[in-house]
Amino acid sequence: MAQSATATKAMTAAGTDGKPAISVRGLKMGYGKRVLLENASFDVQRGEILVILGGSGCGKSSLMKNIIGLYRPLAGDVLIDGESIVRSGPEEKARLQRKMGVMYQSGALFGSLNVLENVRFPLDEFTDMGTAQKNLTARMLLHLVEMGHAEGLMPGELSGGMLKRAGIARAMALGADLLMLDEPSAGLDPITAANLDRTILSLRDNLGFTFVVVTHELQSIFNIADRGVMLDPVSRSVIAEGKPADLRDHSRDPRVRQFFNRLPDEARQTTGN
Amino acid sequence: MSESQAAAVILPLEGRITAYSVAPVWRNALETLSRNPDRPILVDASRLEYIDDTGIALIFDLKRQQRSPGAEVEIRDLAPNLAALIPPYDAKPYARAYEKPLAIGIIEHVGRAANQQLIYVGTMLEFLRNCAAALALALTRRGVVRWSETLSVATEAGANAVPIVLLIGFLMGVIIAFEIGLVAQQFGAVIFVVNGVGVAMLRELGPLMTAIVFAGRTGAAFAAQIGTQKVNEEVNAILTFGLDPVHFLVLPRLLASMVVVPLLAVLADLIGIFGGALVMASFDVGFLQFYNQLLGAVDAGDFLLGIIKASVFGLTIAAIGCQRGLATGAGATSVGLSATSAVVTSIVWIVVIDGIFTVLTS
Repeated sequence: MAQSATATKAMTAAGTDGKPAISVRGLKMGYGKRVLLENASFDVQRGEILVILGGSGCGKSSLMKNIIGLYRPLAGDVLIDGESIVRSGPEEKARLQRKMGVMYQSGALFGSLNVLENVRFPLDEFTDMGTAQKNLTARMLLHLVEMGHAEGLMPGELSGGMLKRAGIARAMALGADLLMLDEPSAGLDPITAANLDRTILSLRDNLGFTFVVVTHELQSIFNIADRGVMLDPVSRSVIAEGKPADLRDHSRDPRVRQFFNRLPDEARQTTGN
Repeated sequence: MSESQAAAVILPLEGRITAYSVAPVWRNALETLSRNPDRPILVDASRLEYIDDTGIALIFDLKRQQRSPGAEVEIRDLAPNLAALIPPYDAKPYARAYEKPLAIGIIEHVGRAANQQLIYVGTMLEFLRNCAAALALALTRRGVVRWSETLSVATEAGANAVPIVLLIGFLMGVIIAFEIGLVAQQFGAVIFVVNGVGVAMLRELGPLMTAIVFAGRTGAAFAAQIGTQKVNEEVNAILTFGLDPVHFLVLPRLLASMVVVPLLAVLADLIGIFGGALVMASFDVGFLQFYNQLLGAVDAGDFLLGIIKASVFGLTIAAIGCQRGLATGAGATSVGLSATSAVVTSIVWIVVIDGIFTVLTS
């Protein structure tokens, strides 16, 4: 890790003068009158893997969509490399969004394109690369996520796990060094999930990529996360922030310990006192 | 690019190579390789500051090039972190060209299309048989029809379609009256335009235009709704509960459409005739005169023929929309194709059935 940290420093992608890759400041989000999260503030540093944690329905995916500018927060701000994506105009926002590669929960592949064409799509749209070069790049990305055998299949022919992996390959196609992954391990077999964790760590260690990962897969959290931000649907706030192992072992909040130790509600009542 | 000792060509890779800047670097590198087929190539990566996945692909592409002995490509001074990303890749999967689907000849194309049509006819006949059985069961046994669902469909497909049907019906009456009126005026036969408007609206245009609007509005919606349910595996869930999708999804739509389209057609008839009457006023045919002439021109048979037609049109549109929905493949694209196909097929069959009615009743 020491070697990779050095390499990462030398290869720091965006040259952002030490600013956090993402700053969430006093964010309040929700749908209409239904508030999901209030006054959330945290940073994501360059080269860091930050995991957004929490039970189902606590607003993890919505928080990610607020960060990438798909949803407008009810209050607060989100800064990408020091620039506000909330207050930016359409062109500025598009420029900031292109800094981020996003994998959605369902993969969100384009149904009319096969897997290779889906991964090649951003290269087709935004680069002058030749067809052979684009195909090679797309194939290498598919190989990276163990989807090389499925390049000719249509999205309708893929399983949920395959859709996600192809979605990750597409998110990485334009070389965005800030990757947002919405539940990447859910639905994957343990071996593929472990390989995906290894890929994420390799990209962070070797290329200095920054990851924001929405997940509640405990194994994956302990494998990859530098830091976790935990949301709570009842208090509608960030209830914990820190290293996953610290949160599991030393958090004073019984909800946090219950989550990390995968305990049912009755056990929380027992351990919470 | 410059030459060093041992006649090697040095190809420097410098600065930041990203997806946005890689294209000229890659072109230049491949040109250098092809210009020097018999000389070794030294790729100097010592001044490389940053590369992304496209840069990794570039280095991999240079390394995998088939060169004559003594003219290999060597990557020099590549940072260890970048080098670590390259070895896992096996050259074999990338050596082949992207295989586009094979183009097929016209005869094979026609054969495949004919085969698909035969399969479709078979599927449609099976579906119609199931629908007929479901309708028969609904008429003979209580509790088969989900009336709340039927009413909900009827409200959405019928009541909500009233404004558009009124608009189309009114305009049809106005247009027919005006066009025929201009010609009839030349022969002093303006009063007979009332006969034309009455017969055309009641027997043909009322039900036909209502059916076309219904096909575009509701037939497509049926296909898209059921198609989405198929994609989301809701249809599978219905099957695994031991329920029949035809009873559960299709029957309420068939019944609702059979009732709603005739009602909409009545509205179209009335508003169309009213539009015709307005136009005839400009040809000096008053409302009372129009009414008297209309009573003499049309009878209950014309009205009933239109109503029966509309009911058959409704049944046809609902059956086609539901069948296309249940035949939806996988993915969002399939849902769109099903909806489009439902509208086009419905309109074709509306016209064909209208022609059959005309031949049989004239």
